[in-house]
Amino acid sequence: MAADHDSLRSPLAKVRYLGSARSGAQENWLMRLTSAALIPLTVAFVWVMMSLLSKDYNGVRAELGRPLPAVIVMLFVLVGIYHMQIGMRSIILDYLHGQSKEWALMANLFFAGILAIACVYAVLRIGFV
Amino acid sequence: MASPNAAPTRARPLSPHLSVYRLTLTMAMSIVHRITGGALYVGTLLLAWFLIATSMDASAFATVSAFLHSIIGRLILFGFSWAWFHHALGGVRHLIWDAGYGFDKPEREWLAQGTLIGGLVLTILIWSIGYAVR
Repeated sequence: MAADHDSLRSPLAKVRYLGSARSGAQENWLMRLTSAALIPLTVAFVWVMMSLLSKDYNGVRAELGRPLPAVIVMLFVLVGIYHMQIGMRSIILDYLHGQSKEWALMANLFFAGILAIACVYAVLRIGFV
Repeated sequence: MASPNAAPTRARPLSPHLSVYRLTLTMAMSIVHRITGGALYVGTLLLAWFLIATSMDASAFATVSAFLHSIIGRLILFGFSWAWFHHALGGVRHLIWDAGYGFDKPEREWLAQGTLIGGLVLTILIWSIGYAVR
């Protein structure tokens, strides 16, 4: 960075005591928010899955096609995948550095995004097709 | 004269630097929390497979259903459900800490043991109910 030559202060001294780079607290808050949301969603999701145990293909489709189970599963999937995406992001930031970190962060978002869309599409298709 | 961008002469400590500490229960639980989180990340593929197959046709559903009912499928599901409950209770523990409680030594030990035992109890309870209502 060219700006580093304009000052005798070391790069570390410049960033010290400035806190996270503005958005760090947002990620922390979203992790807590999704954690809290997943507690009741887990109970509801387990209830939906329990109701599927004794059912065959048509029974499972009929049950997942009902509005309440469909909304519960979609909420569970979306909140869960958002939560795990933040979690994997912090794992990547802890253990990977340089180019591999950038690729991993990208792969993490692609994986979470594709999985979320695929699951929601599947639930909607069960209900409407 | 050294460049202002020169690497520091002494490497600064990076996370994780676990090896310098004696292993404690709360520390092991922290590691297990991260490992279960990573496992659940991969395990989500199983839920996606189940939902997508169910949305397709009877033969795709039969394939995923046969896998989930197989010994390996049940073992993976059992592991997934334990990882979920353990991670969920670990999350509750973190929410308690976030609220500013449970930092004293007896409390944090109790919370760690509660998470460990609670995760196993919940898993066995859910599977017992599952086999009963099946």
